[in-house]
Amino acid sequence: MLAAIWQGPFIRLIPVGMVLLALQRSLFVEITVNGVVIQVVLALAAAAGAAAGSERGAMAGFTLGVMYDMLEGLPIGSTAVAMTLAGAVAGLLAVVVADPQWWLAMLFTMLGAAVGEVMLPVVRLFTGVDDPFEPRLTIIVPVVALAAGVLSPVFVPLARWCLRIKRAEWMAPPREPAI
Amino acid sequence: MAIYTVGRRRVIFVLLLTCALLLTLDMRGNPVLDRVRDSFSRVMSPIESATDVITTPLGRAWNGVTEYDDLERENQALQDQVDRLIGTQATARLSVEEYQELLALLSLDSLAGIPTEVAKVVGASSNNLDQIIEINKGRSAGFKVGMPVVNQAGLIGKITSVTDNTAKVLLITDSRYAVPVRVLAAPEADSIPTNTNPSGQTNEELEDLVATSVGPPTTLVTEVLDTGTTLPENNPNAVVVADDDTVFTDPAAPGDEVLEPVVSGAVAGPDDLTDLVVTTTTTTTVPTLAAKEFGALEGRGRGLIPQIRFLQDNPSIAVLQEGDLVVTAGGFDSLAPPDIPVGVVINRADRSGPGGPLLDVLPYADVTKLNFIRVVKYTPLSEVEQ
Repeated sequence: MLAAIWQGPFIRLIPVGMVLLALQRSLFVEITVNGVVIQVVLALAAAAGAAAGSERGAMAGFTLGVMYDMLEGLPIGSTAVAMTLAGAVAGLLAVVVADPQWWLAMLFTMLGAAVGEVMLPVVRLFTGVDDPFEPRLTIIVPVVALAAGVLSPVFVPLARWCLRIKRAEWMAPPREPAI
Repeated sequence: MAIYTVGRRRVIFVLLLTCALLLTLDMRGNPVLDRVRDSFSRVMSPIESATDVITTPLGRAWNGVTEYDDLERENQALQDQVDRLIGTQATARLSVEEYQELLALLSLDSLAGIPTEVAKVVGASSNNLDQIIEINKGRSAGFKVGMPVVNQAGLIGKITSVTDNTAKVLLITDSRYAVPVRVLAAPEADSIPTNTNPSGQTNEELEDLVATSVGPPTTLVTEVLDTGTTLPENNPNAVVVADDDTVFTDPAAPGDEVLEPVVSGAVAGPDDLTDLVVTTTTTTTVPTLAAKEFGALEGRGRGLIPQIRFLQDNPSIAVLQEGDLVVTAGGFDSLAPPDIPVGVVINRADRSGPGGPLLDVLPYADVTKLNFIRVVKYTPLSEVEQ
């Protein structure tokens, strides 16, 4: 069982998530684009989806979301829903292509991050917050999505490493012996 | 890579249901989840400290590049403000001191008798929806959920969650924030209080953050009889004796409410008054801020100023207008004590129907630039009685 935990995806994902959370709460609160806080943890969740498919992306998003909620003092599960969906949506890339190029991964990471950011106020609405939709949501969502896209060339390989995903290797079929 | 199947979709549904379950448990208050949250915060604390040390130069460099022009403009504006405030500093200081003395003498509820604790802001909300800051003191400093938080300018929010060494403060601009407030008529001379900016004043001078304004002068003459003991602040048994001709005007009371001179409390009887000696006679000028209306101040999110709702505008009493001052109303259930300055009305929007007008309130405190704040250890009257 210990070996299963050791070889499972979370042994790498959790420490990486903790470092990203710390960065999110220190550096990325300062570095804002047009007043919008870049969501690096959400970007990693989406990148995990783009790298490993919907299922693992959702699991990674769930894990990172629960960690985020615990540290931010938000109701546990509120951000996890958004990040789970971000990972799942970005994982739709697997339906399109088996071994995506970097720009496709970037595109789907952006899509996943955008869905995750939109879902945050939707979840708040269900938790009883009056009018959680920020008027600036039309600015926030594109900026967060673009930032996730910019970070994806780093985050997709990082997510692949965290989740122990190996790139598909295409091998030529063995040559038929000449008769 | 495997294709998208029904089995995979099931995993996602299970995860979403788990989220819903956790959400329900946490919102209903679960001690196990609270403990897990506390433990995780404790584990993250050294990592965050280390990250903070490493990334601070990067953040400063970014801010230096992107906010230099804003900083220069702000510096000029602040310099102008300082110049203006230097002229009114002495008056403001005197007003605060005298106001505090009067509140203590009249046993009025104010910040005078409520302990406060200074804390440092160590973090801001890392998402784009919440208006929450984190401070470096928590349960160990006696902080509890619901306590109001102020700075030298006025109210900035309330505590919403507490761990042993940190606490989260929901700012007044957050859309979930609401507090009962009172709208006061602005003084004629100046619609904005003159002592609400920290420039040129020390913490001691504005210890309790009670804002007073230079308004139409009202002469108040009090005769304080010294029994030889010190009158404690806000002590209901304190003895206040006045001649029949003397009228106490309560600057914090709604309207033109007049407090009749009475002998209150049972500490000193008629026999005890025989050896009383008149020690001081003070003549001072206090502001007369007529309370116009009560309402609920609600935040509206990042970048938007709060609004006051649930107002019934009655022109026969007073007209709510730009420049009116807003202070906390206090009350039995209110989490904030009365008379904490909140802001000034900068816009009025009339609504059809019985809803009354909406008032846009510019907070005195700039919640985007907070460094040190003060937590008011106030317990609502409703909880005290329990």
